[in-house]
This record gives sequence, C-alpha cells and structure tokens, in this order.
Amino acid sequence: MVFVTGIGIISAIGKNVSETLSSLLESHTGINKINHLQTIHKDNYVAGEVNYSLQELENLAGLKKINYNRTTLLSLLATKEALASAGIKDISSHRTGFISASSVGGMCHSELLYKDFLEHKPHENFIDTHYTGSHATDVAKHFGFTDYVTTISTACSSAANAIMLGARLINNNMLDRVVVGGTDALCKFTFNGFNTLMILDKEWCKPFDNNRKGLNLGEGAAYLVLESERVAKAEDKKILAILSGYGNANDAYHQTASSPDGQGAYAAIQKALKTANLSPNKIDYVNAHGTGTANNDSSEAAAMQNIFKESMPPFSSTKAFTGHTLAAAASIEAVITILSIQQNTIFPNLNCITSMQDTTLFPVTSLQKNVKINHALSNSFGFGGNCSSLIFSKN
Amino acid sequence: MAMYINGTGCISHQNTIDVDDFFENSQVNCSSLLSAKEPDYKDYVPANMLRRMSHIIKMGVAAAKISLQQAGFENIDAIITGTGLGCFEDTDKFLKTLIENNEQLLTPTSFIQSTHNTVAGQIALLIKCHSYNFTYTQQGLSFESALVDAEMFLNENKNSSILVGGLDEAIQPYYDLLVKAGYIKKQEDIITEIEKNKTHGFCLGEGASFFVLSNQKNKTTKAQIKGVKTFIFIKGGDDLQAKLNNFLDELNLSINDLSLVLSGNSGDFEDDKILNQSNKILFSKTDIAYFKTLCGEYFTASAFALWLASTIIEKQKVPKALIHGYKSKQELKNILIVNQYRNTEYSFMCISSC
Repeated sequence: MVFVTGIGIISAIGKNVSETLSSLLESHTGINKINHLQTIHKDNYVAGEVNYSLQELENLAGLKKINYNRTTLLSLLATKEALASAGIKDISSHRTGFISASSVGGMCHSELLYKDFLEHKPHENFIDTHYTGSHATDVAKHFGFTDYVTTISTACSSAANAIMLGARLINNNMLDRVVVGGTDALCKFTFNGFNTLMILDKEWCKPFDNNRKGLNLGEGAAYLVLESERVAKAEDKKILAILSGYGNANDAYHQTASSPDGQGAYAAIQKALKTANLSPNKIDYVNAHGTGTANNDSSEAAAMQNIFKESMPPFSSTKAFTGHTLAAAASIEAVITILSIQQNTIFPNLNCITSMQDTTLFPVTSLQKNVKINHALSNSFGFGGNCSSLIFSKN
Repeated sequence: MAMYINGTGCISHQNTIDVDDFFENSQVNCSSLLSAKEPDYKDYVPANMLRRMSHIIKMGVAAAKISLQQAGFENIDAIITGTGLGCFEDTDKFLKTLIENNEQLLTPTSFIQSTHNTVAGQIALLIKCHSYNFTYTQQGLSFESALVDAEMFLNENKNSSILVGGLDEAIQPYYDLLVKAGYIKKQEDIITEIEKNKTHGFCLGEGASFFVLSNQKNKTTKAQIKGVKTFIFIKGGDDLQAKLNNFLDELNLSINDLSLVLSGNSGDFEDDKILNQSNKILFSKTDIAYFKTLCGEYFTASAFALWLASTIIEKQKVPKALIHGYKSKQELKNILIVNQYRNTEYSFMCISSC
C-alpha cells in the first residue's frame, strides 16, 4: 500500500494548502484579468495566475540571487510545503525520490530571450534552464534528493503519471518514499498555442455546461509525499490518504482531440479501478478533468457514463477555480481530491448552469458538506492521446 | 530481472540501418555537428502522415517501426520514450513565428507537435496501441528513466512486450544556442582519441534508438539488459567507482566478467574527469571503447550505446572504428555502459549475451 503523508500546493487560489482550502470552501475562483504574463492578449482574456511576481516568489522561497525561473520556483515552494507537511527533515534517512512533471519547463524564461538570440544580439545563457527536466535537477539539488530523480512530460496528464510512477517505484521496492507532482508556469508560448487551437474561453470557463466555450489557462505546482506502508508505520506518520489505484492508457485517436466515446479515458479509469481492486459503484466522488472545451467534456462524460452506468457518483471539475494548469493539473487536483476526502466535502464545479445535450450527467455546482468519501477518482487527459486516472481512498 | 532485447531500430550519425556496413565503414567523427544519416522514411511511415512530421518525429517513428519489424509483430503492451530536448524543431518554429508576428496570425500545427510525448503518441496512433504510454525528460537520464520504467513494467506484467526508445534532434538553432553558451567543441580542437582531450566542448549528435523488450526470450532475441541505474551529482571518481562496484555486485558480476566497457566520454575534459578517474581502474581488467566518437554527444546518446552493445553481442564483433580501445579477442559476454552528461547525470547499463 502507498500512503500520502504530505501535500504542498501553490496556484491561483493560494500559496499553500490552507489558503487553497479556504478558497475552495468559499467558492472563490483564482481566475482573473491577466496581470503578470506579458502578452498582447492580456486585456482580452482571463487566466489563473499565481498572484506573485518572480521577485515575490523568490522572497516566499527565502532565496536571494539564485535566478530560478518561475517554473522552478513554483516547484520548489510546493515541494517545500509537501516535505514539511510530511515532517521530513532528513531526505537521506530513507531511499527518497523526486518525480516531477512539466510541459514546457523553462519556456517562461527562454521566450523572453529568444528574440535577442534570433537577432544575434547578446543575451544571457538560457539553454541550461530551458529543458523541461531542468527544474527537477535544481529542486533535487536544493533539497538534497539523490536516490532517484526524473521528470515526466506527457502534456496535461504529466503529474498524474508522476504520481503513478512514484507509487510503482514504492510497490516495486525501489524507493521507500517519493515526492511526486508537477509544475508549469504560464508563458506566451502555451497561451498562444491554445489560442491558435481556438479553445480558450475569454470569460470564466464553464466545464460541463452546454454553452461552454473553452478553457482558462492557469499555472502552479503541487506535490504529494508518498511513503511505503513500512516506513509510514515505523515513523508513525499521519496518513492523509491512500493512493489505491492508478492507470494510464492511450486514446490513439488524434494528436490533440479526444475520441467521441472517450476510449482512452475509459481504459485509464478501468485500469485504476483494477489496481485499486474496486468496482465502479464504490467510487464516491470524481474530480473530473473537465477543461471546459466542447471536445473534452463530451468525451469524458461519455467515458464516465460507460464506466459507471446507473451508479454515477457526484462529480465536479475544479478547473474553474485554478484554470487548467497543464502538467501541474493532475497534482493540483490530487491535492484538492485529498482535501475533499479529509473534509468530507465536494467542492463545486463553478459556472455550470445548463445541462449538456449529449449526456444526462450534471456536475455538483454548489459546496456539498458532510459527504462521506471513501474512494475518489481523479482524471487527467492530455495531447498525444495520453489518459490517466488516480484513485485516492480514506485511511 | 532480465529484459530481453527482441528487436532494435536505430537512426544515428552512422549507417545504423545497415548493420554490416556499420561494422565495416563507420567513421570516428570529425565535425562538431553530427547529423543523422536518414533512411527513406516512406519505407516506414505513410506519406500522408510523413508530410507534417518534424525531424525528430520522423526519426523516432522510423526507428520504432524498424525495431517492431525485427521483432516481427506490432501488438505491444506499452510505449515508453525518453527525450532530453523534446521536439525542438516545432518548438523553435512556433516560438519564432510568435516573436516575428508579435503573437498574431499563428497556426497550431507546430504547437501541437511540440509536446515531448508527440513521438510516443504518434507511434500509438500509427500502430493503434491503446496501452500504457509514458515519456520522460531528465536531460542525460531521459532514456535511462524510460528503461527503469520498462524494468518495472515487465515485472508487473508477465508475458508482455514493450517498445522503449531514446531520441533527440540536433537542429541548427539548438546547435547555435549551444555554441553561444560555449558548449560546442571548436573545430580545431577535435581529436579522434576522445579520452585524451584537453579542451572544452563536445560535438553535438542526434538520433533515435528503439527497442522491443520482453521478459520472454524468443527466436529474435539479441541480448539481455541485466540492469540499469541512474545517479545525479556524483562526488568524484571514487564515488563513481564505489557505485559501479555496488551495481555489479547486485548483478552478481565483477569487473573481471566484463568483456567491454562503452564509456560515455563527451570530449569535454572537465566533464569527463570523473569518468576518466573511474575508468583508470577498469583499464587494467577490460577493454574500453568510446561510443560518442560514433554518435556525438546528446541527451539520449546512451540509447545509441545500448543499440551498439546489443548489436556487438549479437554479431560477436566490434566495429572497426572502435577497435583502438578494444584489444582482446575473447567472447563478448557482458558489456557495461557507463555514461555521463555534463558531469551532472550518470548512468550504468549492463548488457549480456543469453
């Protein structure tokens, strides 16, 4: 068994777990007018920005003159909180790994200097921090991880795959504990990429609403500390949740679009149920991928309907709080799912009013307290047909 | 647990498509940018898909197809890739247009193909593989991370066959960035005996190497991977040597059992320092050859090294171009790959006959 013993998070709805929980309980979204990202589109769109400048993030991390980029700083801050929350002071006391995830890594910094490079003007070296895995090396160095360090980059399912890998490393007795999650900073590259795909909503996104127009981008990082049963029990750790199931599958339908019946999503959920040894009717809540695009929400609803049939549990997408944080999304939503389990609370799917025409499913749209959640499913899907599902259970 | 190599496909700076030609006519490099010798991609990819594919996607999909052809089937249970740089050509294209057009009039194709898992996703699309699909990116450990995952996957799923690959592209803007950063060796500093370098810099290479791995041995099996191990932040030659001894101990092997060591010297004398210190102890007991003289330095050069090791074991001979580091004529039984990237990431792989 794999236990979650620590969580750390930074996103548009707070710089730590307690701020995040307050925002969720107050139905307070973090999606606002664009403030930090210097794009020509800033006045026409909203986004889920972490509301701190680079300098302010450095101050929060207690760093001076280190010159980490935004992606690395977000990763470092969330990792720091996760380690503290698990009470880990000495990383080397057990075989401890660091598995991160990111989609574009240091792009937030590279894109600012690339013009000078293209025009053959002098510029500072940005290539060493550009690589998507660079942040993991820096964060590992900062905290002293040496046993196993790697980064997964499978677009918007990346952090789910990092969490899944961590659990497998423990189950295969290759590590005793592992910090797993993902980070992504907003950048012009990603913003314009999604804009050309015409899947950005200029207003607040409306996941699972019939009139949904697209997603809002966000940024952030979140990490979980996973520990083996042996180590967690020996150290009498407080168990926040059990990571009981995980599955990854490929839709193999299109580079970016999901298949209409959500074949990949269906297979990922099936695999997660199988590893957790649970039947679908045991799932009490689904934190859906629910980006707010026409394609994703239809496809995901079809997959959920096929899995759960008559026993569809309550579900919500929390992306209308945080925005779609890409490679960090699955770990941010893992933390939110764990908070749901701990608080016996379902956080609402904001902005959804009208039922979708092609499904009978309708999400939870207001805060639901005193709901006993023994098992919760969290979905994450990405480009390249990558589909991942995780199941967290009450201890 | 052993992983059997039941099919391989490699595109590199050498002619690795034609193995006989590779053994006879490979050349030690003499240029600071070592582009891949590319096959006619139409032999491997449908023309309508080929049109949109960037350089790395073509190399990756073709190498994957070749390995599946060798294995004799396409019905695999997982696709796991590693790439340090990802799809840089598409990234550069989108970023350049974004800057030149001031964020206007952009088209999505290069953006949607810029994600690191594009190649793994395209292979899945091409062979209709709905199963497990992972992509790793950890600079010089990107391919090894894929192999560590492969080892676990085969342990978790008995009787399965999976596709594992390492790939990176060396396109001009990336090369230019590395030149600007001072990482590329000056033309006049290039020497053929890479381990004797006294200058900074490396020669940039590229390539895609794919492997069909299984926990089952069959009639196409070439060799087996006995173990893989990764490290970051090695403290020195002694530290690396101690870690190597532990690695071999775990495999019930000693240095005396090694027929050949493929050492990942990049040619940068500073970055190679620890490797050279550790190699000194190996020298007296085994032969050492330097694989980056054939493929150049890149994040997933170790995947080329794995292809080289499995091919050497299968054919029981060493390419003529590597002979200067290879003295004995004994049976080629166990090959150790020791790699370093920028003196930050280190790895061991052990490949054996079976």
